Amino acid sequence: MEGLRQDDPARIGEFVTLARLDAESARHGVPERRFLARSSDGARTVVVSLPLPGTDPGRWAAEAQWAGRLTQPGFWPVTQLGGSAAFPWHATPYRPLLPLTAVLAAHGGPLPEATVRAIGAALAETLASAHVLGLVHGGISPASVLLTAHGPLLSCFGATRSLAPEGLPRAGLPGLEPGCLAPEAATGGPVDAAGDVHALGAVLAYLATGHTVPERNEVPAGLRPLIAACLSRDPAGRPAPARLLGELAPGAAYGTLTAGTEPLSLPGRVVAALSEQAAWVLAAELPAEVR
Amino acid sequence: MLSALLHDDPHSVGPYRLLARLGSGGMGTVYLARTAGGRTVAVKVLHQRLASDAVLRTRFRLESDAARVMGGRYGAGVVDADPSAPRPWLATEYVLGPPLDDAVRAAGPLPEPAVRVLGAALAEGLGRLHGSEVVHRDLKPSNVMVTTSGPKIIDFGVAHAVGEERLTHAGGALGTPAFMSPEQAADLEHGAAGDVFALAGVLVFAASGHGPFGSGQATDLLYRVRYAEPDLGGVPPALVPVLIRCLDKDPARRPTTAELAAALAEGSGGRRPADVLPDAVLREISRRAEGVWREPPHRLPPPPPDMLPHTVQAGPAMSRRRLFAVTAGAVVAGAGVTGGGVWAWLANQDGRDGGGGTDHANVSKQAKPPARLWTFTIRIPADHADVLSVGSGLAMPAGIVLCGVNAESGVLTWQANIADTWRYAPGGKTLYALRDADEGGSAALCEIDPTDGSLGEPLAELKDFAGDEARNQVLCVAEKTAYLVARAASASNWYVCAVDLSDGRVRWRTPIEAPQDENRPPMLCGSVVGDRLVLYRSDSGLSFLRLAVHGISDGKQHWTLSEPYDGAPPDRVVHDERHLYFGAAALKAVRITDGETAWRFGDLRDVGDSAGETRLYGAPVLHDGVLYAAEGDRGIVAVDAATGTVNWLEKNLKGRHLNRDAPPAVGDKYVYSLDDKGLRAVDLRTHRAVWTLATDASVLTADHDRDRLYVRREKETFALPLD
Repeated sequence: MEGLRQDDPARIGEFVTLARLDAESARHGVPERRFLARSSDGARTVVVSLPLPGTDPGRWAAEAQWAGRLTQPGFWPVTQLGGSAAFPWHATPYRPLLPLTAVLAAHGGPLPEATVRAIGAALAETLASAHVLGLVHGGISPASVLLTAHGPLLSCFGATRSLAPEGLPRAGLPGLEPGCLAPEAATGGPVDAAGDVHALGAVLAYLATGHTVPERNEVPAGLRPLIAACLSRDPAGRPAPARLLGELAPGAAYGTLTAGTEPLSLPGRVVAALSEQAAWVLAAELPAEVR
Repeated sequence: MLSALLHDDPHSVGPYRLLARLGSGGMGTVYLARTAGGRTVAVKVLHQRLASDAVLRTRFRLESDAARVMGGRYGAGVVDADPSAPRPWLATEYVLGPPLDDAVRAAGPLPEPAVRVLGAALAEGLGRLHGSEVVHRDLKPSNVMVTTSGPKIIDFGVAHAVGEERLTHAGGALGTPAFMSPEQAADLEHGAAGDVFALAGVLVFAASGHGPFGSGQATDLLYRVRYAEPDLGGVPPALVPVLIRCLDKDPARRPTTAELAAALAEGSGGRRPADVLPDAVLREISRRAEGVWREPPHRLPPPPPDMLPHTVQAGPAMSRRRLFAVTAGAVVAGAGVTGGGVWAWLANQDGRDGGGGTDHANVSKQAKPPARLWTFTIRIPADHADVLSVGSGLAMPAGIVLCGVNAESGVLTWQANIADTWRYAPGGKTLYALRDADEGGSAALCEIDPTDGSLGEPLAELKDFAGDEARNQVLCVAEKTAYLVARAASASNWYVCAVDLSDGRVRWRTPIEAPQDENRPPMLCGSVVGDRLVLYRSDSGLSFLRLAVHGISDGKQHWTLSEPYDGAPPDRVVHDERHLYFGAAALKAVRITDGETAWRFGDLRDVGDSAGETRLYGAPVLHDGVLYAAEGDRGIVAVDAATGTVNWLEKNLKGRHLNRDAPPAVGDKYVYSLDDKGLRAVDLRTHRAVWTLATDASVLTADHDRDRLYVRREKETFALPLD
């Protein structure tokens, strides 16, 4: 979370912006612009997303519409779509959340293996349930995973599809984390379920080492075979999410991870960062002139 | 954490729109609230019915000032306050973290580094408070909120400026005995060093899961705080030396807050609170940070019209919803509503959760227990626990003190250092007490000032009687004459005597048997009935009640009687001008003139399932010529007091075990009785129970002047309308 800059919008639809969700330093690899904002009557606090400047707002809005229909647990829900064809936005009620990039920054480095497994297993479960329905996220990256006290949520649905039409090379596009992009998708190939698994592997690597493309010996031994399999160049060699789930959280009952009602065990400084964000948003007050 | 607003909660307070209830206590209600700019705060609002009380308004103002002094780093930051509003309010940040007692409950004893980091920060916080000449005076685990940025000290309800005149003289033993300083327990000035003592107790609790003086009866706790060595079992050895110094009985030998902070910070390596908190505590913090953003529950609808008679008298703060009970051991928490956090509070009053719109259809035809008018959190003594009307307020024994309580609000107004319930007695609306046995000299009888609980100049100095005898007893005061039982100054002889309060002279004295018990007075109770003084006595181990009746003009004994008696012996004389009444194996009336049995009720009656128990009839209560008592487990029986013939029997009561030791209480519409399911109201017309309030109460007192029913249970006393 970071203060607003001069070129940031002061208002988005009925909302007055309060802060940026993503720090400037972590902005690379974030496929949309995200703000904490509040309705001008003070009643509703939300996270609002906008397309990146220079990208196609129409394709972004189309993916947002799809995301709005998702009711799977584990996905960041899109509850309100607004704006115009040229300036679309979507909004979701606020809850304390940190992009994984901010999680590592708060913790001061890679997370303990137990935390990596807990977050990874929840993401694998979300993907497994989505893939069964034929839904491909197509935008998983450290910045698109929002960690809440109850676990991770997948946001930025369809980022890969929205940033460039199929067939065009995607490597080097702003907003895409190169390490998360499967080789086949980087060259303009289809964005499919195996691509999601590749991206999930890169996210696990990031959590465990701080890099989406880690040196092999950086990865904790217990996670090494798993992450290596996910990052396999051959899409057919990547494990299915359900298998990943079983290996990350042996014995966990399918369907229990993303629907949890109990807070997740997280490192102290991560809990502190979530709690400080919540306290900041609780104390934030809209200036009288914008109400 | 968030519960729904009640239908009669205000919509806004000051500039804040109310969203949900966080808790409610004796002084006020705490709401989650939001400004027009979307800032979310905790707002504490003084109860409407207390808002006209100048003393409480002043206390509220002092609490707001102390919270401001504490600031947002070590306390719940004050956002705004208006102590002069029609209903004073205080808005603070909403603190994201559990109170320390909940944290230890969730996580177990905290590891040493956590205790060091918390302790150092708490010591710094107290240092800041003391630097502004304010003492907290009620530091305890439930007043410390654990957050990821460090502990926050809350609830300045009893804080006061150093050297300041004690507000309403309620200072004394205010606080929580388990974490009191010895000077506080002795009713001496509790200064900054007293807060250091309390802080060490809090840290012992954090490190070991128990306070340094354990838990239990307030009496025992206060004794141990003053005289016993602290128990630091389970505390990491490296912490013991510094905590022992803080727990020195002599305030002058305790370290300052700065020394304590330095000693604790040593070896904690500058670690942040977030680095040292156990996972279970972190998850509690997460739960709160997330929970406050959930949609608050909807405001509850007003009750259906046919329930109104039971609820209109409820103050707005009284919720039928389940809130949280005050933690164990509080001698006094009537004033204790926290500022920023939550966590207080009213115990669940009828066992029902919610009570929203969903089940109205089913229950609307049935009367519900009324809401509490107030709750006073206090530990009650084992016997003689009646609530007395004194002056314009109430008095009730609590732990080892006698408390004066505002009858309208249930808020403590004074405390008197009278440990033993037999050492005071009412005469009309005045309370009389024996001078403290520790003062030695001769026995003396004084009046208790109904406004501040202080003992006045002796009305009678009884130089023939020993002042240092703790078992001396005041039985009753009638017609300007006090009836006492006392030991002679020169010998071990005991007397019952009549003292004329207009001139302080002993009118007569009559020798009696010395008490058999080292710790109990000779008599259970005594009362003037017409021109007789009736004395009840029971010797331990014998199930006989011994009655003695004396003339009040000369003390001459008229008759005695040994009455078989099972169950808890009576602590009051139930009588009218003709008879004394008992309930045990049977209900029985004894003639005051000669001790002969006037009538017996219950012999050979089938009283249901309780066969085998010897006490078949409960302690009775007399009201308008009718004697009411529990009969077996079958219900209330109402018997004509003059003739001993049955008026009515309770109908349709099943599956209850009736409390036969506590007498029922009688109002205009109901007779109230205790059983294993709670407090039952039996309709005087239909003779059926109309509602049961789930409670484990042990004493009922009807107050016909105010139309109140006082219900006492182990750790609290509450008031209901007496219907």
